[in-house]
Amino acid sequence: MTAINKVAVIGAGVMGAGIAAQVANAGIPVVLLDVVPDGAARAVEKMLKAEPAAFMSRAAARLVTTGNTAADFELLADCDWIIEAVIERLDVKLELYARLEAVRKPGSVVSSNTSTIPLAKLTEGLPASFAADFCITHFFNPPRYMRLLEVVKGPTTRASAIEAVARFSDSCLGKSIVPCKDRPGFIANRLGVFWIQCAVVEAFDQGLEVEEADAIVGRPMGIPKTGVFGLIDLVGLDLMPHVMGSMVGLLPDSDPLQSCRRELPLISKMIADGYTGRKGKGGFYRLNRAGGGKVKEAMSLKTGDYRPEVKAELDLPKDLKALLSRDDRAGRYAWTVLARTLAYAAALVPEAADDITAVDEAMRLGYNWKWGPFELIDKLGADWLAERLAADGLAVPDLLARAGKQSFYRIIDERPHYLGTDMAYHPVRRPDGVLLLSDIKLRSQPILKNGSAALWDIGDGVACFEFTSKMNAVDPDILGLLGKSLKTVAKQFKALVIYNEGSNFSAGANLGLALFAANIAAWTEIEQMVALGQETYKALKYAPFPVVGAPSGLALGGGCEILLHCDAVQAHAETYVGLVECGVGLVPAWGGCKEMLQRWSNLGRLPKGPMPAVAKVFETISTATVAKSAAEAKELLFLRPSDAVTMNRSRLLADAKAKALALVADYAPPTPLELTLPGPAGGVGLTMAAEGFHRRGLATKHDLVVSAALAQVLSGDDADLTKSLDEDALLSLERKAFMKLARHPATLARIESILETGKPLRN
Amino acid sequence: MPSYKAPLRDMRFVFYELFKGDDLLVKLPGYEEMTPDLIDAILEEAGKVCEEVLAPLNRPGDEEGCRFENGAVYTPSGFKEAYNLFRDGGWTGIACDPAYGGQGLPKAVNSLVEEMICSANLSFGMYPGLSHGAYLAIEAHGASELKERYLPKLAEGLWSGTMCLTEPHCGTDLGLVRSKAVPQGDGSYKITGTKIFISAGDHDLTDNIIHLVLARLPDAPKGIKGISLFLVPKFKVTEAGQVGAANGVSCGSIEHKMGIKASSTCVINFDEAEGYLLGQAHRGMRAMFTMMNGARLGVAIQGLGIAEASYQGAVGYARDRLQGRSLAGVKCPDKPADPLIVHPDVRRMLLTMRSTVEGCRALGAWVGLQLDLQHRSPDPQIRQDAEDLVALLTPVIKALFTDLGFDAANLGVQIFGGHGFIREHGMEQLVRDARITQIYEGTNGIQALDLVGRKMGAHAGRSLRQFFHPVANLIESKLDDAALGAYVQPLAKAFVRLQQATAQIARVGMAKPEEAAAAASDYLRLMGLVALAYMWVRMAELALPKVAEKQDSEGFYQAKLNTARFFLDRVLPQTAGLFQAIMAGGGSMMAFDEAAF
Repeated sequence: MTAINKVAVIGAGVMGAGIAAQVANAGIPVVLLDVVPDGAARAVEKMLKAEPAAFMSRAAARLVTTGNTAADFELLADCDWIIEAVIERLDVKLELYARLEAVRKPGSVVSSNTSTIPLAKLTEGLPASFAADFCITHFFNPPRYMRLLEVVKGPTTRASAIEAVARFSDSCLGKSIVPCKDRPGFIANRLGVFWIQCAVVEAFDQGLEVEEADAIVGRPMGIPKTGVFGLIDLVGLDLMPHVMGSMVGLLPDSDPLQSCRRELPLISKMIADGYTGRKGKGGFYRLNRAGGGKVKEAMSLKTGDYRPEVKAELDLPKDLKALLSRDDRAGRYAWTVLARTLAYAAALVPEAADDITAVDEAMRLGYNWKWGPFELIDKLGADWLAERLAADGLAVPDLLARAGKQSFYRIIDERPHYLGTDMAYHPVRRPDGVLLLSDIKLRSQPILKNGSAALWDIGDGVACFEFTSKMNAVDPDILGLLGKSLKTVAKQFKALVIYNEGSNFSAGANLGLALFAANIAAWTEIEQMVALGQETYKALKYAPFPVVGAPSGLALGGGCEILLHCDAVQAHAETYVGLVECGVGLVPAWGGCKEMLQRWSNLGRLPKGPMPAVAKVFETISTATVAKSAAEAKELLFLRPSDAVTMNRSRLLADAKAKALALVADYAPPTPLELTLPGPAGGVGLTMAAEGFHRRGLATKHDLVVSAALAQVLSGDDADLTKSLDEDALLSLERKAFMKLARHPATLARIESILETGKPLRN
Repeated sequence: MPSYKAPLRDMRFVFYELFKGDDLLVKLPGYEEMTPDLIDAILEEAGKVCEEVLAPLNRPGDEEGCRFENGAVYTPSGFKEAYNLFRDGGWTGIACDPAYGGQGLPKAVNSLVEEMICSANLSFGMYPGLSHGAYLAIEAHGASELKERYLPKLAEGLWSGTMCLTEPHCGTDLGLVRSKAVPQGDGSYKITGTKIFISAGDHDLTDNIIHLVLARLPDAPKGIKGISLFLVPKFKVTEAGQVGAANGVSCGSIEHKMGIKASSTCVINFDEAEGYLLGQAHRGMRAMFTMMNGARLGVAIQGLGIAEASYQGAVGYARDRLQGRSLAGVKCPDKPADPLIVHPDVRRMLLTMRSTVEGCRALGAWVGLQLDLQHRSPDPQIRQDAEDLVALLTPVIKALFTDLGFDAANLGVQIFGGHGFIREHGMEQLVRDARITQIYEGTNGIQALDLVGRKMGAHAGRSLRQFFHPVANLIESKLDDAALGAYVQPLAKAFVRLQQATAQIARVGMAKPEEAAAAASDYLRLMGLVALAYMWVRMAELALPKVAEKQDSEGFYQAKLNTARFFLDRVLPQTAGLFQAIMAGGGSMMAFDEAAF
């Protein structure tokens, strides 16, 4: 089998460059070539400034070798996988492939990122050896963040080539591989475009406004904030007719997508006038900054003019069946769009996908639907949907008719199964080495559990502590159960993993609770909660067994501090760690200051004396810096150099468990911490730096108050250089500073702003 | 019949000494003239009017009641003359904007005047009180020509006003309102519907009556979000601003009721009456809500006024009436018996009343001043803080003052014994008059729901902060004070109960709103008692040095200290029981089988 150690991407457009960046993010060298002589180099430059970032670190960017297709073609000679992402023109691609045959090494894999050209056409006239090494790998935009990879193999593609690409994309690029048939639009775009097109056309026909349409069809898919019109704004209005055009050209006249084809004068006019969405002058929504103001506006589908955005007041039922059954504007619209979309999904199996799991996975990962179409059908009942479709005179897809009263998914023997086209239930496949807590939960009971957390047995003597609170915010219940879990694990397990499957590891401490307590002046309770967190995290650190933190997504504040107390961290590459307490007018007080001081003090590559480490920690914490990737978290020492990174979200738990088991042999808890800190002189230095920022307008009045409190903690307050401070002394300083700030009205105003608006208050 | 004396000494104490109200107000734009001289003069004059004109009419007004004859309502004998005097004295416009002919008095001062009126004659107070409510609504939401046309007349008292909310099938749940408003295309509307329980809905005191009516437009959404507010005069107003033709507004009947019999409570029928929109279409409830805090403070003051009247009557009787001998030995050997006031249980009742009255007066003044700050302070942070405190404490004082006011009236009857039960002394009238204050302007149960349902959770408890922090700070700084500490300790105990109950309700209520609702009334009382205790500690803080430095020739400050002691020792411990009831939860109520009731 081909081992992939070096990759090339040809075509440095948005997709090609993004794919190259993600390869580099995995630590793999990558060649990026463009037809424009300095196109690739410019693309890398642009990506270094892009937001959201394409690169996970600056080091990753250095792994990209740029060049152009005329002069640097021989750079491809030692690449194991060559990804073509050039313009969507068959002649250009075929000519390129012919040239590739001359330089690429034998057994290397070539794939195209095409979204519109059938594989059959791409191999026409090329030698059989090329076809055997060729497949389509369809990435989604942006390639770093979208986890879907659709893979189409040709009739003669080597199995080992597909396997090599799939394995690499899974483990190194972090993608979930969905095998597709060689059909137009593959799976995700085929269904996604149908859904969007249907929603747009029906909104015009049924006289709905965009806010209403988005509210109605966004929520059932779990994407209430964007909806369809918001999504079109995001991808670009001009792209829609293009994608639609290429698909309807290839599909038979009988395909339901043909019936959604419609010339919509308003949209044509918007595109012609440059209203192409977020990249253009605006789309169906825009922020009107005219006259120095900021007005959220929406395009009226009725008048074709912008007007202030109006929140749709439809009073929609949460239950999907209730929504589709309602005999009013919203109900009728929901039915015409969603029922047809779901029916279309059912028609895609087996035409475009081998089974339903491929369609569901494609829509969840490619369109961010919270539920796949077959999961949605299960909410309705296949028989109910089929009956209503028939009653409406719509075709009932074969799969739906045959499913009858059976659900598409079912738990058999405590494991998830899906309904195959053979009408038998098959286990839902997990790639080798994938361990999901959601699967474990199906077949076992928690060892401990309360309203905010649970402890699970994940096998081989390892336990998993899961946060279950809202936003996985750390609250007294989590701390309580964690304390209990430490005792249980010590008795019954070898190691502990802290992990959950929420979209964020933890957004931090529960600020709502804290603010409420502060508002009723419950200072004793607040101080007790601070102390409880300190004690619990300390107990975690010194527990007689290894603890591995396994974060993904946000790990902020108290969520970051728990990681700082773990023996090791196995982080998902997309982990965003930070001590953000200063942003809400507080200081880290669950050992965050203490642990960061120790990490920077022990680093060894800073100048001598206690001050450099203190200054580094002050800089990181006072500015509430959040690492934008696991790689960046290592640079900031939120993660240790020895901590590991997992690219694929689904593999995180398995990797963390393996790491924990590796630590079991000869495990000894860390030695107690002792630090020498600079004392008052150091504190003054830090405060002066903050005042400098204030004079330059970079720090607000309350920033100074917070910085001063932080400086006092980090410098050791009245510490003196001849004596070292122990853990409890530092914790006591953290607690004191926290309590002082918690009483400050400006801090309370900051917390309130974050809770109410999600925006930090700069007071 | 109790003779009323305006409690000017205590009012001055609360206003000037406790809250430095004069300093506070003169710094607010528009109140620069509010010097102690002016405020004193107003309070003294108001006291005279209340003592000499309004109080003597209270009992005859109750005996005679209002009459409904041939479609018209007549107030009891003497009311019209009294009203004319009241109006000629400028009292109808004291709190109105000088731009419309008013005297621009701050709300805090106005509520002291209102207290006197309510003590003297609650029924009479209804007429100018409702007019002022209508005045404020038009001032806040009316188009400028409506303001020009109606406000001067209301301020001058030539016309009066009403609030027409309730309909036969809906009181508390105004989302059910059915009255209709049909636009006429010329900016006016035709209003049709029946309103009931309309205070001052019809009477013979003024030439015209301006009704503010909640009704639905033809395209209105269902429920509470589809209600609009309209101005509908009893008689149309001519171009020249004079009273013109009848306007399809008629009084169907008046209610026969338990109390405030001299206040007319009417069924008002609107039959295609011409009206004008106030504020935005479908936003009528919002428009009403902007005045709700002021109106609820007004009702709270009614409870206080009644309590004061009852206390004055009871003290006089307890001194004069000779019954039984003191258990500590004969006090008046030259008389056939000792006066009632020697008996512990009579003292318990009197001090309960007194501590209620003086505590509520202080608390009401605090809220009143915050209302002025909320509207007039140039500092947005002060405005916000004041608004938060007013929002939080408005439901508390409305329910607390009216409940305690009713209790005080009841104790007054008790002290009089059989003489309280008969009508001659007017004590039983106070009980009957007080009863409505617990019901109207949002029943006290609704106030409690407002507190736990809306005010408590809003902005993660920000409104709570404006009350909890000052109390916590006072406790923290004075708990160990040599002199004041003994007063602070009971407050500290009760405050912890309040904090714990608040956290409990917030926690449980989040998951189960019914649990928060089950705790609501007890919780409101708990917070109310802590608020009164906070006032008593602050008053004691002020009185202690005066007594110590012998600046207390009248014994006023010593009495303050003694009343504070009584409240903290004998009333505040109720918080322990309330706390236990709250923590027990609502299970025992909600599990009860409906059929078994």
